[in-house]
Amino acid sequence: MDILAKLQILSGAARYDASCASSGSKREASSCGVGNTSQSGICHSWSDDGRCISLLKILLSNDCRYDCAYCVNRSSNLVPRASFTAREVVDLTLDFYRRNYIEGLFLSSAVMQSPDVTMERMVRVVEALRTEEQFGGYIHLKIIPGCSSELVRKAGLYADRISVNIELPSQVSLQRLAPQKSKAAILEPMKLIGQEINTSLIERSTSRRAPRFAPAGQSTQMIIGASPENDFQILRLSQGLYKKMHLKRVYYSAYVPVSEDNRLPALAAPPLLREHRLYQADWLLRFYGFTAEEILSDDLPNLDETFDPKTAWALRHPEFFPVEINRADYATLLRVPGIGVTSAKRIIAARRFSAITPEGMKKIGVVMKRAKYFITSSGRRFEKHDQTPAIISQQLLLGEARVVEPPRQLVFPGLYSCQP
Amino acid sequence: MKRYLYDGTADGLLSAISWILQEEPEPEKVVLAEREQTLFEEGFFINTNALQAESLFSRLRHRAPDAAYTIYMFMLAEQHGMESSSLLHYVSLLFTYGDKVNGYLTHPAVRDIVSVAKKAGRELHRMKGLLRFEKLQDGAYLAKMEPDNNIIQPLANHFRTRLRAQHWFLYDVKRRVAARWSNGVLQFGTIEQFTTPALSEDEKKVQALWQTFFKTIAIPDRKNSRLQKSNMPMKYWKYLTEKQAE
Ligand code: SF4
Repeated sequence: MDILAKLQILSGAARYDASCASSGSKREASSCGVGNTSQSGICHSWSDDGRCISLLKILLSNDCRYDCAYCVNRSSNLVPRASFTAREVVDLTLDFYRRNYIEGLFLSSAVMQSPDVTMERMVRVVEALRTEEQFGGYIHLKIIPGCSSELVRKAGLYADRISVNIELPSQVSLQRLAPQKSKAAILEPMKLIGQEINTSLIERSTSRRAPRFAPAGQSTQMIIGASPENDFQILRLSQGLYKKMHLKRVYYSAYVPVSEDNRLPALAAPPLLREHRLYQADWLLRFYGFTAEEILSDDLPNLDETFDPKTAWALRHPEFFPVEINRADYATLLRVPGIGVTSAKRIIAARRFSAITPEGMKKIGVVMKRAKYFITSSGRRFEKHDQTPAIISQQLLLGEARVVEPPRQLVFPGLYSCQP
Repeated sequence: MKRYLYDGTADGLLSAISWILQEEPEPEKVVLAEREQTLFEEGFFINTNALQAESLFSRLRHRAPDAAYTIYMFMLAEQHGMESSSLLHYVSLLFTYGDKVNGYLTHPAVRDIVSVAKKAGRELHRMKGLLRFEKLQDGAYLAKMEPDNNIIQPLANHFRTRLRAQHWFLYDVKRRVAARWSNGVLQFGTIEQFTTPALSEDEKKVQALWQTFFKTIAIPDRKNSRLQKSNMPMKYWKYLTEKQAE
């Protein structure tokens, strides 16, 4: 099979992997080698589905021994199979990098003969890139659950980011849909990676020459909508992963119906809106100081479809508002729907010079569409009168122009009664 | 209101600002504009003095490095003819507030300068990703581009570290300016007559691989060309390898 045909199969098989981020790692180019990584992350192109392309995202092989129900590559599925040699991946990466097509490589794989054999081959690719070619670009390496901890350690020394997919939000679902995988085999390398990252950070704080271990941290991914867990369970799981395992990112991937299997729900389309809402809620966990329990509860276990999670929270908490933009601290500003990290920072920077007026909010570039219902400036409301959450949500939904005043019936007793 | 004129160059602008800040007690009340050589133009012309421009810029860098970078990006946008008064007022605020000045977005001059600089910065960041090199017969790499802003200098600096092991050229087709990196030396120059050199033998093969990857990586059920175009405006497609196959 020629390399073009292989690339077609092995990039096609990798495309459902959601994590394209390549940021968060700073690697200096060595004097003779190729490349460096950039802290803010660079997109090199945007594919036809509008997603950022920054890494050469491929599988080393799609020839899988396992049979996970939700996966195109499962052993019982009849698809063309292919595997790259280590040299082929190294050359592809370098050829693409030198032409500025990519930031680096994202290498994953199906399980070949065994987890150890697979992981060993993957590590060989990155070892060749780093040591033989002095490649300084970004590398994200997937860990195959069940491989030896020695290989996990080696992977972390060469890669910028490593990740173990959690796949499904619960042990029960994992057993049902991916019977060859186990929770233990997934969590164990995660813990090990977390420890190694910590150790390396501590050692590097005393000696610059101590080795780096996965400097861009670890991430994971789970499939949404292939199993029955609700959003509250999912968010609590993510919260635990951020807090206890110190993960950098959790990626959510809407289940794309790729196979007929009676263990799977029949979905007409991938649950994209749900995926989107989960990402929004995830942001609230990571950057806005929310907890999973504030966003959802046992009585309200799923994210609102109509409103983004922050607006939904605000509508449930009228007592928190209005927020005074000329006094509120950063954390409070961040709770206002429509005010994000950038806007909150701009407000704080601008009010050093003078109090911000409603006009001023527009000038500094804060989008007022949603925010105006929840703030005051120097005590003055942006909207004419006090509003109840019900009216606000109506206005947010309809847009201002079409808001209907609640019909007020004036009744003059007797006016009609005397008519014949 | 007092009116001053300069010759329209970047050096001219900076030397005029430097002069005004020295001589005028209330620079915020002064208008600065590009000289247009009309017969009855009003205003006092300030001569260009490259040394003075340089010394002003180094004082700015010292006083407020972030804001000085904003000015640098603003200059790359090549719009200083239109916004020269804003720049004057911005610089004068800079000497009062230091780097905090960029937060003063309620001030019209700050807003003008920051927004123009931001646009140039955005394009620079975008081009770091969208630039495409082609391998030439002699083993060097060439990238052509037509950016709105004059970003070749910071762009070349980016690739100087990233692709330091290879010999490459950047070429700004509209401005006819080129950057060349070879044997550890970065040089800039203008090119009057440009002919595209022959490509290396394997170049088309690698391009075909990239085009294949580009096509296969998209999820067919999620096709969204509007999102694609808003992230990657069509004006950049001309030199994108992956867009040549379509
Ligand atoms: S192990 Fe991975 S590639 Fe193999 S079937 Fe399961 S999810 Fe698919």
